[in-house]
Amino acid sequence: MGAHISIPMYQRAVSQKYRMLAQKCLHCGKVNFPPKAVCKYCLTGSKFEHIQLSGRGKIYSHTIIAGGGAPPEFAAEASCKGSYPVVLVELEEGPKVIAQLVNPLDREISVGMPVTAVFRKIYEEEGVIRYGFKFMPAPVS
Amino acid sequence: MEGVAIIGAGQTTYGDFPNKGIKELFAEAYFEMVQSVDYGFEPQMLHSAYIGSLSTGSGFQLGQMAPLLMGHVGLPHVNAVRIENACASGGFAIYNAACAIASGKFDLVLAAGVEKMRDVSSNKGRYWLGVSGDTEYERLAGSTFAGIYALMAARYMHEYGLKREHLSMVAIKNHRHAVANPKAQFRKAITMEQALNGVPVAHPFNVWDCSPTSDGAAAVLLCRAGMAKNFTSKPVYLRGFGAASDYLAIHDRDSITSLAATSKASAEAYKQAGIGPRDIDFAEVHDCFTIAEILAYGDLGFCEQGRAQYLLEEGITQLGGKLPVNASGGLKAKGHPIGATGCGMACEIFKQLRDEAKEDTRQIKNARLALSHNVGGSGGTAAVFIYERGGQ
Ligand SMILES: [Zn+2]
Repeated sequence: MGAHISIPMYQRAVSQKYRMLAQKCLHCGKVNFPPKAVCKYCLTGSKFEHIQLSGRGKIYSHTIIAGGGAPPEFAAEASCKGSYPVVLVELEEGPKVIAQLVNPLDREISVGMPVTAVFRKIYEEEGVIRYGFKFMPAPVS
Repeated sequence: MEGVAIIGAGQTTYGDFPNKGIKELFAEAYFEMVQSVDYGFEPQMLHSAYIGSLSTGSGFQLGQMAPLLMGHVGLPHVNAVRIENACASGGFAIYNAACAIASGKFDLVLAAGVEKMRDVSSNKGRYWLGVSGDTEYERLAGSTFAGIYALMAARYMHEYGLKREHLSMVAIKNHRHAVANPKAQFRKAITMEQALNGVPVAHPFNVWDCSPTSDGAAAVLLCRAGMAKNFTSKPVYLRGFGAASDYLAIHDRDSITSLAATSKASAEAYKQAGIGPRDIDFAEVHDCFTIAEILAYGDLGFCEQGRAQYLLEEGITQLGGKLPVNASGGLKAKGHPIGATGCGMACEIFKQLRDEAKEDTRQIKNARLALSHNVGGSGGTAAVFIYERGGQ
């Protein structure tokens, strides 16, 4: 039914979801994440070396998903928490990624706020816990 | 290239119709379209039909929906195909119909769209409403479709100083426009206080920033321009049609305060029509969320990028303004039966350009050129059309 993500489908993306494995284009040197068959920057390069992203970046934009409207995989989490923040993060290496924000600070979430990726449970379905990355506010140095 | 004209258009009222399935909705729109052809037309002359739908009747008819619908209205042998580009399915049905006529292959083509959204449980609805983005990355971040547009809104606010109230100005305007439209789902004006204080959906959006789920269908009859006067003295000519795509996922795009697919599609349509945005008298644009109408103003060239809020503040895009936008009520208040929406926009423009929006407060007077704009999902696809009045 609908757009169910099967266990094998999730498994195929484990290197992205667990380790944030990205592709560095051998033609233009820019970093693609998630992976593409052809580099999205030069639209030419199709050979890549794998690099692991640092997970460090800044909030590019943000929202708070209200409980009633959460996707079905997150309905239980939303009904328990009421709502949860989702952020679009621009990573140090260039790519943007969408993920949840955990441990938000007391102050309002804002564009430019430094964040860092953390490994977390994303949701549970068919008795299998699906893990992946979320972001948390970067520790103040 | 052959010119293209619209000679008939019909649509159901949009809303909640528990007694009507996709066949009944489609038939209602189709027969209203047939009635609208002034000198009549022989349905068996139809060469081809393109029918837009995302969920194909809440997912019950995933294959070959188009012949099912055509067989229901007595046209089992017409070449019929389903078109799917999410919320732009109807627009792409018209685009394909127009290209088929322009190519010289066909003379008379049906473009239609249908969606049955009100049957499904809210849990199942959440599943398939979230399937038109990059499911694996966007939805599995816990984001919804509203959440993706909310990210665009928050960034627009950051870059251009857009205020929460500007979002509500879109909702208030479109709800006010829908009051006089008999085809609209919500014919009720709302106040700024209401619009600011709805149930939260995805910050900064509340429920008043979001289009509803709707049942509905729409049908448009297109023909080779040279034949149009055989059917009516008041054809509406399709002077330009453009379509484009973009990265499906917003994390892959350079900018999220503009939809590149809209810019590219509108450039193609303006070029074909030989006009620019300043020549447009009124428009129906894709306001699935309030921010979407604001993005459209910049992407369609109605204002400079980042200055959409001033069009709202100055009332330019309300009925009576210099460039009325969504006189029908838009997706926001007229309703948004996904696959039908793009064709429903053409129905509204067909009526307006023939001076047939009978309700006095609605009819846009002395308009010659109009534009419609239909977006798939969060901008993965877009189609733009430019229409010209053919009669006096
Ligand atoms: Zn490259």
